[in-house]
Amino acid sequence: MKNIIIVLIILIGTKLSIAESLEEKGYNIAKSSYESGRGFTDMISDQLMILIDPKGNKVTREISAKSLENLDPYDGDKNITYFETPKDVEGTVMLSHTHINEDDDQWLYLPALTRVKRISSSNKSGSFMGSEVAFEDFSAGDYRKYKWKYIGEEMYEGDLCYVLESYPTYENSGYTKRVGLTDELLRARKIDFYDRKGELLKTVFFEDYNLYGDKIWMADSMKVENHQNKNATIFQWQNRKLNVGLDKKDFEKSSLMRLAD
Amino acid sequence: MIQNTFQGKIIIFFLVTLLHASHTNALDFKAYGFIQPESSIYINGNGRHGQDNYNTSLFGKGTFISYLQNGDAKFTISTIGRFDQSDDQLRYLDFQKFKYEYYFDDVTLKVGNEIVFWGVNETFNIVDIINQSNLAENISGTKKLGQPMASISYSRDYGTFDIYLMPYFRERPFSGKEGRPRLLFEVDKNSITYESSAKKRKIDFALRYSTVIDDLDIGLSHFYGNNRTPVLSPNPLTLKFDSHYPVLSQTGIDIQATKGPWLYKLETVSAKEGSERHLGAAGGIEYTYYGIRNTQSDLGVIVEYAFDDRNDNPFNNEGIIGLRWSMNDVKSSSLLAGYLFDMRGNSNRFQTEFEQRITDDLKLFLDLSLNGSIDETDFTHQFKEDSQITIKIAKYF
Repeated sequence: MKNIIIVLIILIGTKLSIAESLEEKGYNIAKSSYESGRGFTDMISDQLMILIDPKGNKVTREISAKSLENLDPYDGDKNITYFETPKDVEGTVMLSHTHINEDDDQWLYLPALTRVKRISSSNKSGSFMGSEVAFEDFSAGDYRKYKWKYIGEEMYEGDLCYVLESYPTYENSGYTKRVGLTDELLRARKIDFYDRKGELLKTVFFEDYNLYGDKIWMADSMKVENHQNKNATIFQWQNRKLNVGLDKKDFEKSSLMRLAD
Repeated sequence: MIQNTFQGKIIIFFLVTLLHASHTNALDFKAYGFIQPESSIYINGNGRHGQDNYNTSLFGKGTFISYLQNGDAKFTISTIGRFDQSDDQLRYLDFQKFKYEYYFDDVTLKVGNEIVFWGVNETFNIVDIINQSNLAENISGTKKLGQPMASISYSRDYGTFDIYLMPYFRERPFSGKEGRPRLLFEVDKNSITYESSAKKRKIDFALRYSTVIDDLDIGLSHFYGNNRTPVLSPNPLTLKFDSHYPVLSQTGIDIQATKGPWLYKLETVSAKEGSERHLGAAGGIEYTYYGIRNTQSDLGVIVEYAFDDRNDNPFNNEGIIGLRWSMNDVKSSSLLAGYLFDMRGNSNRFQTEFEQRITDDLKLFLDLSLNGSIDETDFTHQFKEDSQITIKIAKYF
């Protein structure tokens, strides 16, 4: 009798640990991948966004950005985006204090109105500046915003990659599922996004990886292909610099006016 | 404006400062702007003062920003100007910004012309008081004149304090004889009186504390100085309006709560002019539906109401219902439509503003302003026949 109980316990235990391990393994890879991108302290960059329609027509948008790493493990980073082009929005500045599972705090300085407006950030699935990048994609690397599942391994461009499925846990996401490839250096290489109906919406390719500060791999190019409307967006990072000495005060609502015209 | 000697002196001071700075620092600057031809058709025909049913205008804006002392200081010029076919009061150049700022860790010092906005509302900006409104530009008063000032801003974790000293007052511009819409009489620029003996040299003073507490943005402000709004009284001899600027002491509170797609806004003022005290409150709700009908479009609904305990105030019992439709496309197409109404009478006005980028440096604006039935007792009755359609094309550089 005693033996049977022990066998049962072992069986149940094994089964549980197997069931856990797919989710846990996925979670742990995602967590390690996220953590390998931390430690940048703060960052500045110029960003180029190229919007391509199905006929191949291109328009280019330029922004410059600053980020501050939040060392609080229960809260998100802070970002400032300065819009350079299109010229009619030149001088517009956006500040966001991101959070993990609640809405971000966002303010927008509008030069035409010479006014700072607090804006709603619940538009997670909306398009960023008419591109195929949604607002929620900017925080796509944060493992805490998803449930994870390890699916298996797959070769991608000659590299062995983990296949991970993830499901957003925050509200108003435009996605039900993401299927991503993360390589052995813990770099996200490609993610397929499935829409609210469960259909394949778009694929994001992370390219031009460079090692910053001798420790952090960052993709300096991101290509988004929308499979439904056939548009594409290429996002490029230029002049990226880490640890330039920004602090919390540079990311307050009051400091927006220092960046304004 | 430049011809004014006081501002002239300030401008010379700045140019000297800038020249000095450019000797000691490599100039790091930005320059951008636009020119915008505009054309209006008045759909009720000629105006009641014989104004034409058609008008053209050329508007422009130029901004120059220079970053000095390794980013610890900034010099900004932002100028707007207009040349209007009909209205001589709409032929002007205004230095909206002409300022030098210096940044310490927690403190910002600023001197020069500046535009300062206070408040949270979309339509009824009753707390906003620093800058004079250019009523020749539009009757809603959203277009401002640059205000000369010296200001200090001090920011800490618990909020920001701003102190403003404004040594020079700018009189309110009104539409001229050929302007449309215009008041019943012209406003006589040679017949302006002030309660303050210092007149336009009175040093106006303002203080503001603002802070963010989670999803609340809060501002407390106080202003003491020449009221930006004059009392107009018809002069039977000149058949023009005489204007009088009383001294105003106004305390304001503005609060916005941002709860997901809901924005809740409230502004209140308690103000004293002479021995008379009045109260005003305005606020509203804005809700945005994101991704309507499975598109990238957003539809925002705005409802605002304004109350003032003075019966003769044009905004003593007014409401607006507005819709903001943003297509979020490559052309940034958007449409703002508002139905403005007086809650007591049956006066109402309908306004729309459509905009769309044509190319990377060209943008189209289409404005429509329709006056509905307007009570004879309503302030806006004099503009009843001035419904208009305006097309503007901005060329950016």
